[in-house]
Amino acid sequence: MNGLNLIEDHDKFKCGMEVILKAPGFSVATTPSEVVYTDDKMRLIHYIPTVEKQHAVPVLIVYALVNRYYILDIAPDKSVIKKLLEEGFDVYVIDWGYPSGSDRYLTLDDYVNGYLNNSVDMIRERSGSDKITLFGVCQGGTFSVMYSALHPEKVKNLVTLVAPVNFDTDKGILNLWAKGLDVDKIVDYYGIVPGDFLNSGFLLLDPFRLMIDKYVGMFDRIECNPQDIACNLRNEDIIKNFLRMEKWIFDSPDQAGETFRQFMKDCYQKNLLIKNEMELNGKKINLKNITMPLLNVMAEFDHLVPNDASKPLSDAVSSTDKETLIFPTGHIGIFVGSKSQKEVCPKISAWLKPRSFLNGSAKEEKTELANEEKPELSKEKRIKNIRKNRGSKVSKNET
Amino acid sequence: MEESSFESTQEFYDEWLKTYKATIGKFIEMPAVGPAREKSEKMMKGFSTFMNLYAAGMDTSSNLQTVFMEAMRKVQEKTGTEMNGEITPEKYKEFYNTWVQTYSDTFKEYSRSDHFVADMGKLNSYYMDFQQYQKDMLEENYLKPMNLPTKTEIDEINKELYSLKKAVKELTSQIKELKEKK
Repeated sequence: MNGLNLIEDHDKFKCGMEVILKAPGFSVATTPSEVVYTDDKMRLIHYIPTVEKQHAVPVLIVYALVNRYYILDIAPDKSVIKKLLEEGFDVYVIDWGYPSGSDRYLTLDDYVNGYLNNSVDMIRERSGSDKITLFGVCQGGTFSVMYSALHPEKVKNLVTLVAPVNFDTDKGILNLWAKGLDVDKIVDYYGIVPGDFLNSGFLLLDPFRLMIDKYVGMFDRIECNPQDIACNLRNEDIIKNFLRMEKWIFDSPDQAGETFRQFMKDCYQKNLLIKNEMELNGKKINLKNITMPLLNVMAEFDHLVPNDASKPLSDAVSSTDKETLIFPTGHIGIFVGSKSQKEVCPKISAWLKPRSFLNGSAKEEKTELANEEKPELSKEKRIKNIRKNRGSKVSKNET
Repeated sequence: MEESSFESTQEFYDEWLKTYKATIGKFIEMPAVGPAREKSEKMMKGFSTFMNLYAAGMDTSSNLQTVFMEAMRKVQEKTGTEMNGEITPEKYKEFYNTWVQTYSDTFKEYSRSDHFVADMGKLNSYYMDFQQYQKDMLEENYLKPMNLPTKTEIDEINKELYSLKKAVKELTSQIKELKEKK
């Protein structure tokens, strides 16, 4: 029996290696989209609708500067974006791009009051809606909070997903480590802070799991029954999903130095945001200016953004319509885990739908179907939709 | 097995560093004289920058070794009795699981300590000093004499470019507003 187990482990490794050696093609960010606006290296991506009628208020997803937005569209069956489209939302995403040496002087103000504000204006112009729903994820959630406090007149709803606003907590290792960092020396030397430098920090959070056990676990999930075609397909799926995540984890853009400096010092080291003492270009960010409906979503086992870092947002704002949701999952699991599609996305959609009406606008009728089933668009109509968008390019998959 | 630690190694490094500072270190940090004093002083500064990094590296490495020794001791405690006798594949698997769990937990516990935060902060800071020193020396002693552009000069241009782009964006936005008013 024991000898058989040893053979079984060896076979799993062999089967897994066979799939890897075939170099299975995999793609991420497969949901059809178009680039509707660019500003320096930033791209505003609009997703092609998949239902006949959409909710009137468009949704802008703002992701972090660390890693890339496509974790929200990592695979067709694990796509937060696809799910939102199916629920009838008009979805946009900001892709911050890859900053290079010439971007080292970009400030947090440039990101929030520049790129983000310009994107919001572009969406308002395109949709005819005065206000949009801001859906901020992780650090992008922090940016969205800053933006909503500075430009509340443009934000209809604010959704924050695993977004830190209180950085003075000993629950998160990153919060502890950041206190000991000499940020000035890092920025002064690098200028553009390398993504690999930050990645080495993330790997140090749990080196044995992230550098050894993760790879052992991949082979452990392999089934070995070469005669069974379905089993081979499942193995290929396991490897493809693993490679997708591997690509995302190590696809880390460098950080604009001045932005990194202010974010680390004002947020992680001085915790100014939650105290209403943080400034962007001399303008104070007062979280009490946030009066729009707020949905604050967290992951119970988040090791990067502990709940203590996100929860205080709900008390810091003036919104009367606010809700907090906590899911029993982790920081990444909330986007790609099994609960993401079954619980997280449906609950966010259910919260957003009744709040996606345009008050007193002719576009109100567009939302009549807000609580009804959305008929899916035929392939032909989708293609027609793509072609209709003049001057914009339908993006290629990130492979 | 006798319990081990890296305290004696740490003591050795500390003693070595003290001796260095009291002897060669003093000589190296002595003010330079003569026509090449400016250059020579900058060059000599490199020794202390490197020594700081070396000492911080030794501290970190010694502390990590102590943590891993502790993890190894815990693994031995957990598996010692079970691993006696025949080693079967299940036991290999169990051993691996215990090993990875114990090392991961022990390291995570250490990584949350003030000691680790201070250690990493110090190591990182000295590493940045050293890298900055190397960059400065490369610019000063190689790129400038070869009449090649330096990173410092490129950064100056980048800063200028950034300011210009920002000004253009602001002006464009103001023009757009004025046009809309008309």
